[in-house]
Amino acid sequence: MLRSIRVSILLSFLIISVGLGVLAWRSYELSARLEDGVNTLAMQYAGYAADITARRIDSAVRNGIFDASEEWQQLERKTPNPDSEMLSQWLKSNEWITSAIYVPDSDPTHSIFVSEPPNRATAAAKLTREFYTSSGLVRYTYDPARLVEHVRPVLHQQPLMQRSQSDPQAQLAIVTTPSRHGEARLTDGFTYVAPLAPPLQGYSIRAFVRTAYGTSGWENARYFSIWVSVAALVLTALGAYLAMRGLKREAETMKLRGALIANVSHELRTPLSMIRLGAETLKRSSKLTEKQRAEIEDAVLREVLHLSHMVENVLDVARIQNRSTKALAFTPVRPRDLLTSLISTYESWIKSRGFEITVQIEEAVDEQLWDRDAVERAVVNLIDNAVKYSGDIKFIAIALRQVSDHVVIEVRDRGIGIASTDLSRIFDPYYRAQFSDTQTRRGAGLGLTLVQQIMVSHGGRVEVESTPGIGSTFRLLFPRESSRVAEPLPALNVLPEIGSRS
Amino acid sequence: MRTRTLSVVIAAVSFLIVTAHADDKKPKCTTPPAECERIIRQMLSGRRYLGVQLQELNPGLSVKSVVEEGPADRANLRPGDRFMAVNGKSTKDATIQDFKKILTDAKETGRLWIIVQRDGILKKIELRMEPYTKAQIDKIVAQHLAEAHAIVASAPPQP
Repeated sequence: MLRSIRVSILLSFLIISVGLGVLAWRSYELSARLEDGVNTLAMQYAGYAADITARRIDSAVRNGIFDASEEWQQLERKTPNPDSEMLSQWLKSNEWITSAIYVPDSDPTHSIFVSEPPNRATAAAKLTREFYTSSGLVRYTYDPARLVEHVRPVLHQQPLMQRSQSDPQAQLAIVTTPSRHGEARLTDGFTYVAPLAPPLQGYSIRAFVRTAYGTSGWENARYFSIWVSVAALVLTALGAYLAMRGLKREAETMKLRGALIANVSHELRTPLSMIRLGAETLKRSSKLTEKQRAEIEDAVLREVLHLSHMVENVLDVARIQNRSTKALAFTPVRPRDLLTSLISTYESWIKSRGFEITVQIEEAVDEQLWDRDAVERAVVNLIDNAVKYSGDIKFIAIALRQVSDHVVIEVRDRGIGIASTDLSRIFDPYYRAQFSDTQTRRGAGLGLTLVQQIMVSHGGRVEVESTPGIGSTFRLLFPRESSRVAEPLPALNVLPEIGSRS
Repeated sequence: MRTRTLSVVIAAVSFLIVTAHADDKKPKCTTPPAECERIIRQMLSGRRYLGVQLQELNPGLSVKSVVEEGPADRANLRPGDRFMAVNGKSTKDATIQDFKKILTDAKETGRLWIIVQRDGILKKIELRMEPYTKAQIDKIVAQHLAEAHAIVASAPPQP
């Protein structure tokens, strides 16, 4: 089941990352394509605008020329015999014409000629044009530059422009014809140069379309989107990694919990069956000697004690794990008295197992604010471990001392020790070091967990030093509270029996 | 409303004054006479002319007058001739503008084939437009100088 969950999570992350990748690629591709499209459009629009405007200018030029001849012919119709005054009036109304001569059909020698002042007439190349009228011929010279100025207003009509659009899409200009026509790519846009038709073949229309605003700004930078996608991918990968790690830890806890159920049930059943066996023996067999009876009673009592110890451990771990810190009752405790009474309780049991025990207690340890029961349980657990995991040398050393800011209780043994790989995990719930003979030693894997939880709730910590084959040293470091309690409370210290715990 | 009328009246009056003033002053050509002469000669040199004045009938075209010693005169075009076709195009219903257009088309060669109707008889006339003679150009220049520059050209200017 776990495997399938893991696979599905991996799969979903895979799908997400693949989707992100595809999205990133698509957006990159689309933006590239969009830019291509914008460029094409801009190029085409530039060409279109230049061409259209050139044709418009051409037609404006043609119209100007035509209007001038029309105007003259209307004047001629009004006045059958034109004089120089009429001709100069015509010249004035068409400001781009510099001089004109009218030759009547009836008598060429009676031509009239009008020219504008030379200061206005530039030295630039002038063009000549003529047109027939109903009664003669008009021939005039004009300045192409001034004709360009005459038709320049056409530039303000942007081709394909909506009325609502305020800024022109193409910048149009009349330029003198460059060496090359057609489109050109600039850094920020496109230009297109379209030639004008004669007589203004010396000029061209240049349209410039800016394309830069489509791609400027950081939010439009294509590489920005790529980097965002990469960052998203990295984050997804990180998320996948974290989820997998969490899942792995969960799986381990599950495994440990499964081990506990098997373990605890085994651990509970063994003393129970022992007790049952003892009780039945006591009940049925009346022929037991006094000595045998006492042995069986001792055995039953020991098993009961063991059972209650284990149940207490399990319950305490559960209670402290659920953060019900109210379970702890802090009272002023003399560490020396606590340890002395504890050792006196357990000394006979330890010695009965063949252990040598040395106790080293500093006299001047201040009274501390501890939960007496909890600390006792922690120390008992450590002693229990020392007994359980003993080797050939059966030795336990218990010490109490006071360092600069800690009160230290030390339990040292010369047992089988703990491998360094296990050292970091011995405080995990239900974890039991993988010795070859772990199964022969009874326990639920909760003892050290409880020790650590008790130490944490007292604001202290547990230190372990261990060498496989030589022995282990557990140190309980309590924060020292020297001046808190001034008055000793000896009455509370006398609680010699385990059974008196609440 | 009233102010607008007033402004229109003022504009009209001022326009009248200005135009009257302009009328007072005889329009003079401000270009130097030599420059004028140069431009006139430049503009007229090589210019071909036909030397005929037309009038519009209804419909059609006919010769009103012929310039003496002009190309038309030499080709024997006479006043009253009606143009039926010019250079292969019918001018039976043409206006002067149409005819001028044909002249423009034939500007390069200057050749004209004209079919005229004179006294009910169709006649083909072939002629060629000719450039202005030097005497004509001189006369035009002299006239312009006399009119616009108040210089009486007693003798033809030196070329």
